[in-house]
Amino acid sequence: MLDYLRLEVRRTLRDTGFVIGGIAMPVMMYLLFTNLGGGDDGEWKTASMVGMAAYGAVGSALNTGGGVAEDKVIGWLRQLRVTPMTPREVVLGRALTGSVTVLPAITAVLAAGGLVNGVRMDVWQWAAIAVLLWLGSIPFTLLGLGNGYRLTAQTTGVANMVCNLGLSVIGGLWFPLALFPGWLRSLSAYTPTNRFAQLGVSVADGHAPGLGAMAVLTAWLLAFGSYAVFSYRRSARTV
Amino acid sequence: MSFTGAVKSFGDVRAVAGVNLEIARGETVALLGRNGAGKSTTISLLLGLNEPDEGSVALFGGPPETAVRAGKVGAMLQETRPVPRVTVQELISFVAGRYPAPLPVPDALELAGIAELAGRRVDRLSGGQGQRVRFAMALAGNPALIVLDEPTAALDVEARHAFWESMRAYARRGHTVLFSTHYLEEADAHADRIVVIDHGRIVADGTGEQLKRSVGGNLVSFDLAGRGTEGLTLLPGVVSVEVRGDRARLRTDDSDATVIALAEQGAIRGLEVVPASLDEAFMALTSSAPSDVLETV
Repeated sequence: MLDYLRLEVRRTLRDTGFVIGGIAMPVMMYLLFTNLGGGDDGEWKTASMVGMAAYGAVGSALNTGGGVAEDKVIGWLRQLRVTPMTPREVVLGRALTGSVTVLPAITAVLAAGGLVNGVRMDVWQWAAIAVLLWLGSIPFTLLGLGNGYRLTAQTTGVANMVCNLGLSVIGGLWFPLALFPGWLRSLSAYTPTNRFAQLGVSVADGHAPGLGAMAVLTAWLLAFGSYAVFSYRRSARTV
Repeated sequence: MSFTGAVKSFGDVRAVAGVNLEIARGETVALLGRNGAGKSTTISLLLGLNEPDEGSVALFGGPPETAVRAGKVGAMLQETRPVPRVTVQELISFVAGRYPAPLPVPDALELAGIAELAGRRVDRLSGGQGQRVRFAMALAGNPALIVLDEPTAALDVEARHAFWESMRAYARRGHTVLFSTHYLEEADAHADRIVVIDHGRIVADGTGEQLKRSVGGNLVSFDLAGRGTEGLTLLPGVVSVEVRGDRARLRTDDSDATVIALAEQGAIRGLEVVPASLDEAFMALTSSAPSDVLETV
């Protein structure tokens, strides 16, 4: 299965669309959003860094689903079914691929924060943010897989984009929640993206993520996980 | 491998309608049929990609899935497109690595005739080259059985020739090969045995020779040399008459009687008696409506 992981990670990283959309875009947006109009707000530079790293991670995680949809269309999943690999190994390998391919986006945005925007934190905070964002991206990988197994390649692309942009904006990854009207702010608290970014923001503030964040994320993990399993089961017969 | 009364329907269509078939180790078998005859469905049942609605399919004495998991089977499927963003070498190494006792990757590439393409990206190859990559995927694991679903569809003559060379080289190693095709010549030239499938049923099973003989009949042809064609259908044994240019071609089930009758009329210029071709055998076997008789030759 490690071979499969290696093969799929390679294929993802060779995808120009992924490199631009999943890694370069969040970095550029981060630098743009934090340096327009003076840009001396240190707190916003840190918060936006976490938000954009989260946004990049969500995009990369969802992208895994796009890969699945593509593999379904070209018959690669069918071809894998006539090799000794079990279906379970294939799905697991794909999920792991998602968890590896979120790393470049997270690393790149954090690097831009530290090196370009001069964000200063303790070493443990950097490490903890990276690890939390990495683990916290798992629900989004599952959401992507659910879309990929369930939908056609084209609709998966659209569904992923809608999920990515919608959840990112409403979750406050792009703009601070303070700019939102009250009702949207309360809605935002229930989005997986908002709670996902909170994992990193609380560490940047020097304390552990709150129970609320963990609870909401766990609920989404279960929901997206079931969606992925359900979609996979449904498609397994037709792949 | 064996099929016992396997049936598979999609909606109202019975794609495979009760197939009984056994293939022994080391055989090279062609599954011959028109488009839509049920070849691909038969293959998907064999590979465990679909399950029969009725009857059973056994591969190496067990369910197909078990044989596939054990690495005993390699397959070249129809309607697959190249995997994007991997090189030939990466792809074949990956597939080979899934099997317990694979061929060394250079050998697999050599056998499939793509050694010089190892570093190229699979999605940037020509159609023929891509087809050979898919063949390499089927044989990379050195499986005891390879199944090729219309392996030469969309190949030009030269590529087709090269492909069969590779296939034979693999079969010579003592492997079982099952391929489907709608090209008669391919089945006749490259298989030890031909299984003709039509309307989801096996209508004939044997060597090319046996198939030709089973349809029976010979083709008697001669130069008309200006004489008319009237009365030819009434000659003894004649089943059908066809005129091409100045030559009459009589299909007959008693060529001796036909020739004698022709000789009496003095119509023996350029007279030729040949057995019916495989083409004609195939036409005769598959043109009828689905019959309930399972004919085994």
